[in-house]
Amino acid sequence: MSSDAEAGGLKDAVLIVDGDVLSRHAIADYLRHCGYSVVEAASTDEAMTAITELSLGIDVILCDVAAIGERSGFELARWVRENRPGLEVRLAASAEGAATFAAELCQTGPHLDLPYEPGAVIDYIRQLRAARDRV
Amino acid sequence: MQTISIRTRELPPANAGRVLVVEDEFLIRMIVSDYLREIGYTVVEACSGDEAVAVLRSGVLFDVVFTDVRMPGSTDGLALLAYVRATQPGLPVVVTSGHLLPALALAGGAVEFLAKPCGLEQVAEALCAATSGR
Repeated sequence: MSSDAEAGGLKDAVLIVDGDVLSRHAIADYLRHCGYSVVEAASTDEAMTAITELSLGIDVILCDVAAIGERSGFELARWVRENRPGLEVRLAASAEGAATFAAELCQTGPHLDLPYEPGAVIDYIRQLRAARDRV
Repeated sequence: MQTISIRTRELPPANAGRVLVVEDEFLIRMIVSDYLREIGYTVVEACSGDEAVAVLRSGVLFDVVFTDVRMPGSTDGLALLAYVRATQPGLPVVVTSGHLLPALALAGGAVEFLAKPCGLEQVAEALCAATSGR
């Protein structure tokens, strides 16, 4: 699946929020190799800085539900949906975090699995782009 | 917050090497890392000395480490420097700080010290010099 925008060479800017440096780097590196612009945040605090203080043109946020910071991953997602309605945010959870995630699922929507499966992440980003292009 | 000014420079060849950037200030880490990627480095970003140690223990190989000194957690930049000296004596470490005296970092085994605020070009030159003999 490839949207018109991607076919034209435009790729989304992705903010990765993950307190595990190895997990964060792995998916960030993969996305960079695929041509995406990536910002790495080690906490929700850093993510808030990226969202509110920078003109980075972030299109998609991938956030570990267990991300550290003043806000939890859920709270960050909620804040983004309330204050940045055009910015897509997808929570990611490990098997251990899935139970906690399920309790909040009705408010936060579907999620990605941790560790990230690179193909699933790319598919998700492309689906978002395709949906935006249709609007 | 410390700032690093942006200056333009001629871009070196791609594949300049693999660098571990260790900086707790998000914006500085992002600006430095993005710049180093632009000029051909492969960059791994760590937000603390503890994260840096985790990366080094994972077996990822680097050509150079670029680290701040004052960072949260149990491993500051000097402790990270000591860890690298003990575990990978051949891995050069470039230290940057707005507080530390250069002599302290150099005595600990750093190959270069950059006082903050420093320019991105200075960072690139220091990393290039640090890796030129490898």
